[in-house]
Amino acid sequence: MAVVDRNGPIADKWERLADDAPVPGGTSVIVSFARLKSEHNSLFSAAGGVGVEIPGDVNLDELEPFLPRLGVVVVRMANMRDGRAFSVGRLLRERYGYGNDMRAVGDFIPDQVLFLLRCGFTSFEVKDNFPIDSLKHSVAAYSVWYQRATDRAAAVAELRQNTPGGGNS
Amino acid sequence: MYIYDQFDHTITRERVAEFSQQVVRRLIGELSEDQFRPLRLMNGLYLQLHAYMLRVAVPYGTLSSKQLHKLADIAKKYDRDYAHFTTRQNLQYNWIKLEQVPDLLAELASVEMHANQTSGNCIRNVTADQFAGVAGDEVEDPRIISEVIRQWSTFHPEFSFLPRKFKFALTGAAKDRAAIQFHDIGIQIVKNDAGEIGYAIYVGGGMGRTPVVAPLIKPFVARSELLSYLEACLRVYNLHGRRDNMYKARIKILVRDLGPAEYARQVEEMWPMTRAAGVDVPASEVARIEAFFVPPVYEKIAEPVASFVAAKAKSSAFARWVETNVHPHKAAGYGAVTISLKPIGGIPGDASSAQMHAIADLADAYSLGEVRVTHVQNVVLPNVKQTDLFAVWQKLGEIGFADGNIGLVTDIIACPGLDYCSLANARSIPVAQKLSTWFGDLDRQHNIGPLQIKISGCINACGHHHAGHIGILGVDKAGVEFYQITLGGAGDEKASIGQLLGPGFAGEDIVGAVDKVVNTYLDLRQSPAETFIEAYRRVGPTPFKESLYGRR
Repeated sequence: MAVVDRNGPIADKWERLADDAPVPGGTSVIVSFARLKSEHNSLFSAAGGVGVEIPGDVNLDELEPFLPRLGVVVVRMANMRDGRAFSVGRLLRERYGYGNDMRAVGDFIPDQVLFLLRCGFTSFEVKDNFPIDSLKHSVAAYSVWYQRATDRAAAVAELRQNTPGGGNS
Repeated sequence: MYIYDQFDHTITRERVAEFSQQVVRRLIGELSEDQFRPLRLMNGLYLQLHAYMLRVAVPYGTLSSKQLHKLADIAKKYDRDYAHFTTRQNLQYNWIKLEQVPDLLAELASVEMHANQTSGNCIRNVTADQFAGVAGDEVEDPRIISEVIRQWSTFHPEFSFLPRKFKFALTGAAKDRAAIQFHDIGIQIVKNDAGEIGYAIYVGGGMGRTPVVAPLIKPFVARSELLSYLEACLRVYNLHGRRDNMYKARIKILVRDLGPAEYARQVEEMWPMTRAAGVDVPASEVARIEAFFVPPVYEKIAEPVASFVAAKAKSSAFARWVETNVHPHKAAGYGAVTISLKPIGGIPGDASSAQMHAIADLADAYSLGEVRVTHVQNVVLPNVKQTDLFAVWQKLGEIGFADGNIGLVTDIIACPGLDYCSLANARSIPVAQKLSTWFGDLDRQHNIGPLQIKISGCINACGHHHAGHIGILGVDKAGVEFYQITLGGAGDEKASIGQLLGPGFAGEDIVGAVDKVVNTYLDLRQSPAETFIEAYRRVGPTPFKESLYGRR
């Protein structure tokens, strides 16, 4: 497994912690949502950092109380067609104001990373053979967008207003 | 019509480059077929029984003559010299080679066209009333907001991997010619008591194996808030629509399971967030788009137009064609011509490149360069002067498209069926051809009156059989094609779902069965003015069942 952002591989401090494994002091760990709910007090006091992995159908209201103290939220896509992650990402950013690292994991392909970035994701857990050249190509595929999203990139409608003579120059 | 600016061109060009690169990665094996499938589908590329099929988007069914010429050229260069107009106002090529698709897309882009989102689990090409802008009964030209929705939904970062496909349809008129209540979201443009224009939102209609007439979810959304409302509708669906079973994944199932009131409540709850996200476009942008749909300057023509009246008096065949194929125009002295792509015994919706060029020429000569595609698989010249109608009719005769059968029994919708489609259980096209030939006599057609036959080759219902006055559904029965008959469907403002009459019929018996249904109607109608659907609604299925299956 490797972790990438829009530019390619990045160093990753997070370790996965199985539900029955003891908490290693001072280490940054990613736990299941069930474990976070039952052990949040000991986790936040012992671990160096706490992250959680959630599925696409999670009840985000239940996650909300923990969000300010989480260093990473990992959203799992069941497969590449599982598009709930895109909405979950937007909700976490725009409704719940989550500001730290948000990571996608699952069988998505490089072509989907651009949309995940637009929906607020910042890092991606991928297999070691994930095609990095295609990733770099894919995230640069578009220079303008028709609609606003979490990234707040200016949409075409706004660019048109700021372009002399609209877009018809 | 809408004309691209630099931003539209940039996005379209970048899309061609992106998909071209995806094709290369598929050809060299970096992408597996499973990974490539959703990508190619989002570009309208299907793997059919014999070859790739490419579905080109015709946004809200509006084409320029220049675009139609290009589509004809592509049919000749990349396909077998013909194309097929579809029930989503799009156009399909059936014999495409994967490695040629990038070049084909570049050619489309040169005339401001594309194949974006004509398939896949995303927001599909938006459809609208084919008489948009020329119908007299219109509150607002639906193409304005259709274009706003086209842009918003194009490469939407959140809604490109929905549980299932998602279709919008719009009507600006009280008379629904776009079958909006059979769509995932149907929008009717309305005026409120204060005289303001807004949008009534119907959600959760559809055909397929669970046909549903969409309930009204929100009676009035202001123009300034439409996109954020739609985004809330889609987000609730994307989060909660079923993903465990593709046959229960459409939004109609979610709305049915939650109940329309609860679904509407969840949308309202989501709406403040989508509003705050700034997705609604400024009024200046809608005004910019609206300017492309300002009506052309029509000549001031007093009716009646003497030459038109004289031509009708001289040729009863022409007069009959006018009766069925010319729709009233809001400008006096004009008409909107529906060109029937349903020649007797022909394949519904097919046109050769020569026919497409000829139609484009007619649009230039007689219809201000504009063409529309209808969801009934016909083509419209929206702006023809009445004094030119006779010449148009004659020239249509030269290309075999002068049939005066619009709305009559031979104006049949048929899906591609087992002749092309890998999903089909049975052939549709030959059934349409046999029915068309059987009922071909024009006197008989006029005697029967308005009657819509719609044929689907499988339960996915691409041929809209649920909405047919007479619907025909092809099924596979132990390896043999059988055809079930439904009666009483309608896709207009009195939308209804056809009811199954009884056991299916073998391919050689289906024409006889439909003929019995039609004769039963002719026998029981109260007068020639009572149409098939009116008579069916009055008497119900029993007399038709008895004529087909005998008394029980």
